[in-house]
Amino acid sequence: MKMMSALMSPVGRKVLTGVTGIGLVAFVIAHMIGNLTYLSPDPTAYNAYAYKLMSLGWIFYTIEILLALCFILHAVVGITIQVRRRQARPIGYKNYTSAGSPSLQGYSARSMIFTGIILLVFLVLHLISFKYGPGEAEGYIATLSTGEEVRDLRRLMTEKFHEPLYAFGYPIIMILLGMHMRHGVWSALQSLGVMSRRLSPLVYTLAAILGILVAIGFLFVPLYIYFW
Amino acid sequence: MASRASDPSQSPRLDSKVPSGRLQEKWDIYKNAVSLVSPANKRSHHILIVGSGLAGASAAATLAGLGYNVTCFCIQDSPRRAHSIAAQGGINAAKNYPNDGDTVWRLFYDTIKGGDYRSREANVYRLAQVSNNIIDQAVAQGVPFAREYGGVLSNRSFGGAQVSRTFYARGQTGQQLLLGAYQALSHQIAAGRVKMLPRREMVDLVVANGRACGVITRNLLTGELERYAGDAVLLCTGGYGNAYYLSTNAKNSNVTAAWRCHKRGAFFANPCYTQIHPTCIPVSGDYQSKLTLMSESLRNDGRVWVPKDPEDKRAPELIPEDARDYYLERRYPSFGNLVPRDVASRASKKECDEGRGVGETRLAVYLDFRHSIERLGEQTIRERYGNLFEMYQRITGDDPYHTPMRIYPAVHYTMGGLWVDYELQSTIPGLFVLGEANFSDHGANRLGASALMQGLADGYFVIPYTLGAYVAGLGSSDPIPLDDDSFDATEQEASDRIDRILKNKGDKSPTEFHRELGHLLWDHVGMSRTSSGLQSSLEAIHRLEDEFWERVCVPGSANRYNKNLEFAGRVADFIELGALMARDALRREESCGGHFREEYQTPEGEAARNDEDYADVAAWEYNGRDPKLHLEQLTFENVHPSQRSYK
Amino acid sequence: MIIHLRIWRQEDRTSKGRLVDYTVNEASEHMSFLELLDVLNEQLLQSGDEPVEFDSDCREGICGSCGLMVAGIAHGPQKRTAVCQLHMRSFNDGDTITVEPFRAKAFPIIRDLVVDRSAFDRIIEAHGYVSVTTGSAPDANAIPIPKETVDDAMDYAACIGCGACVAACPNGSASLFTAAKISHLGLLPQGQVEASQRVISMVDQMDAEGFGDCSNYAECEAVCPKGISIQGIARMRRAYMKGVLSA
Repeated sequence: MKMMSALMSPVGRKVLTGVTGIGLVAFVIAHMIGNLTYLSPDPTAYNAYAYKLMSLGWIFYTIEILLALCFILHAVVGITIQVRRRQARPIGYKNYTSAGSPSLQGYSARSMIFTGIILLVFLVLHLISFKYGPGEAEGYIATLSTGEEVRDLRRLMTEKFHEPLYAFGYPIIMILLGMHMRHGVWSALQSLGVMSRRLSPLVYTLAAILGILVAIGFLFVPLYIYFW
Repeated sequence: MASRASDPSQSPRLDSKVPSGRLQEKWDIYKNAVSLVSPANKRSHHILIVGSGLAGASAAATLAGLGYNVTCFCIQDSPRRAHSIAAQGGINAAKNYPNDGDTVWRLFYDTIKGGDYRSREANVYRLAQVSNNIIDQAVAQGVPFAREYGGVLSNRSFGGAQVSRTFYARGQTGQQLLLGAYQALSHQIAAGRVKMLPRREMVDLVVANGRACGVITRNLLTGELERYAGDAVLLCTGGYGNAYYLSTNAKNSNVTAAWRCHKRGAFFANPCYTQIHPTCIPVSGDYQSKLTLMSESLRNDGRVWVPKDPEDKRAPELIPEDARDYYLERRYPSFGNLVPRDVASRASKKECDEGRGVGETRLAVYLDFRHSIERLGEQTIRERYGNLFEMYQRITGDDPYHTPMRIYPAVHYTMGGLWVDYELQSTIPGLFVLGEANFSDHGANRLGASALMQGLADGYFVIPYTLGAYVAGLGSSDPIPLDDDSFDATEQEASDRIDRILKNKGDKSPTEFHRELGHLLWDHVGMSRTSSGLQSSLEAIHRLEDEFWERVCVPGSANRYNKNLEFAGRVADFIELGALMARDALRREESCGGHFREEYQTPEGEAARNDEDYADVAAWEYNGRDPKLHLEQLTFENVHPSQRSYK
Repeated sequence: MIIHLRIWRQEDRTSKGRLVDYTVNEASEHMSFLELLDVLNEQLLQSGDEPVEFDSDCREGICGSCGLMVAGIAHGPQKRTAVCQLHMRSFNDGDTITVEPFRAKAFPIIRDLVVDRSAFDRIIEAHGYVSVTTGSAPDANAIPIPKETVDDAMDYAACIGCGACVAACPNGSASLFTAAKISHLGLLPQGQVEASQRVISMVDQMDAEGFGDCSNYAECEAVCPKGISIQGIARMRRAYMKGVLSA
């Protein structure tokens, strides 16, 4: 009970956002690396990777549940913070501007709630398109080098990203994801209290690089599929 | 020296109540004999504390910790903002951590000598005795005093002392000590033992049966006059330097609470003793609202000069060496730029009066770091004074690394205040006065790093004993009820005063009057004073008082937040006080400490004290424009007054 | 110089406020911003209007009484400067400057530019102190403290409690203020005895006062007249988690 109220405190809320955020970052990176197997010279690599994940069984489902929890908590706390922000300043300024460095109130920091909500909506659509999209029943079947017949996700992906909406919509969302991570990664570590005077500027720069890499990593595949 | 008992000029109203016995034992003798109040009884005694600076906050925290029922008032929106917060330099204590020969006796001796032998030996000795406890207390509260690499506390020498006895927290010692006291106070507030009432101005003292038994305050937010009854009132409201309009004091620092107590029967002692600090940023125009102090330490590496030719209008860096007059070095070859505050201040005034002042207003002298930068390198100077140079540049726009600073003296501290005895009790029983608001420990001149020491000594370590003595004497009698006639009458007077200001349909703002008073005091009751100047200023101040009540204009109403109304009441009191300052300066026909009468100087132009006739405290009893003088003769049984010399 | 001002005027806590235009024709670059307001107020008094109310006391950047949003920034455009030490040379002749009060639900407006910051006092009352009664202290040198530690503590202790951190924070968070006190005391051995109690109690009070959450924008550090670092906030969170886990 004490723990619960501690987690609901201003510090607890940030710790929750940070921990769940880091979990999501780990997922995003893993997902991105997985996607890049699409580019492998071996055309079965991508489907094999997806199959291997599914065959992890209970481990896979545990991770899925944890991730779902992370998403939900991250979103709920994030929205709570936004609601409290409104309550904390019911009448806004007529004229407000950032004082500049060392403020980190850039575009990415200021747009967390918007990028966050867009990513949340995107996530639902993304799950409908792919995770709950057409499977073996609809004839999306591929044969691995081992001879096993599995769901042909590669085909689904190829088809989807030949549609301009997907091919260009996804990259835009991925840029938003990069932005969200640009502030989020640094912020999560600051929220977890791991920062020190020396570490902080370094981590802030690394967060930017990570954000950019993840965005590029994700938008590469759709654009590749569409143009090649 | 004459002894008190036999001297006919010693006023019977001014019994200092100094315990008998050897100087070193007086405080112990007092503590051994003082009556104690039982813990159960303390709770039933209600103490009103006005002010939350070092003296007020430390007293409130300590008395509440002992079990008294305390109500504390402050004029700011939070007790943390009292003006003690602005003290920069440090706090003295006779810890002798550097092992350089310091003792309680030496701290006592330096303080009494620095005060030009115009303070009470026993009070000053007690101050030196408890100084060490203050440092212990502050460290335990988490005050981050500067430390050496070995982890022990660091000391520096300050204000020309021959030993290093000053503890400091960067240039923010006052802030850190005040926050320590404020946090201790917050602890007691949280425990429910102190009721803290911010944004309250004490507008009068309630006296019944000859005792202080309550206060009338004005709630600055609602304008409401409020009544509070207590067994004793502690006045911790600071000094009156703002009488000069421009000073280093905060805008809200004022004399009103003390002055209203004076009008109710508390004697005002030595009002002419004011300290003028030599290194402040000069006035730049009429709009100026306050002066900013620059640490005295700048004179360690800066050289003070003016152009030899008053018509020399070249930029300072273009004036060659032979056209400069390093007048302090010329006049005081052995101390040079490091002469004491009063001497340095008067010397710059002399240069400016004789037309050699610099800058647009011609009321400034140069403080030049060029030679130090050449000798030590810019980096060393930056390490020593970087933050001060930055502050100077922020305010003036000039870069002191390349062009000399312009400095001029400014009013900084007032040694005078309400008269108190050894127990810090004023001439009104039950009214105690602590810190800068009283007159007791600094004589005619305060040494650097002694103000913080005194405020905290009074609040943490003196008042808990002496208040106990008073309260024990009260027995279990209840405070006067709030509907007593004394409350009715006093509140009515306060309310009439406010109405009178608001109903006046004049055409001049309170600030204009304040500015005029400031000019009068600065010109005639400032760094150097003459009989004729004081005489004429006294008349001029009386005229200003008449004009104030004819022409003052304050818009708005009494029943809400109204800054101009607050100011108007304070300016009226400053005007009355100004007259008393001039009168006191006129009466003191000698020069001592911060009080310099041009008629009384040595052939070399230094202050000439007259111990034969003026080794006394002048305590004034309110009587309209004709105040009544009472004298307390000062006796020196342990130190022998000597003349200061800095040649 | 001529300066145009757009100043927030509000009768009292509940009434509706608005921006009102004024012009000061005789401004000087040597004036502080508050002296400019003084001049405006004298002008208003002369013409029989009510002066603009604002808090100020020491006017040397240490008491923390003053605090205004000047041109959209808490304490104005000059870094590490309280508005009382902001000088008009930071502006140009003919500029129009908007002046608003510090805005937060926990800082209700009293009148014009004056706000009630007593929430800060209540945060300190929630254990922002070392519980030591007068007279019980050991010798000041009894516990050596590394110079670096004290210097670090002093950086946090320098907080003047002006509220600019709250005013500038897009979320209206008081984390920097609270963290500064927790870090100051938590770094020193004298403060470590009660560290856990202190951090939990102060954070709870901060929440109860209605301040927003910290989103690590670091805007507070940028406007802080004392340049207090948001590392203190990271430190507060560590101390909080440690406190919760050890309780």
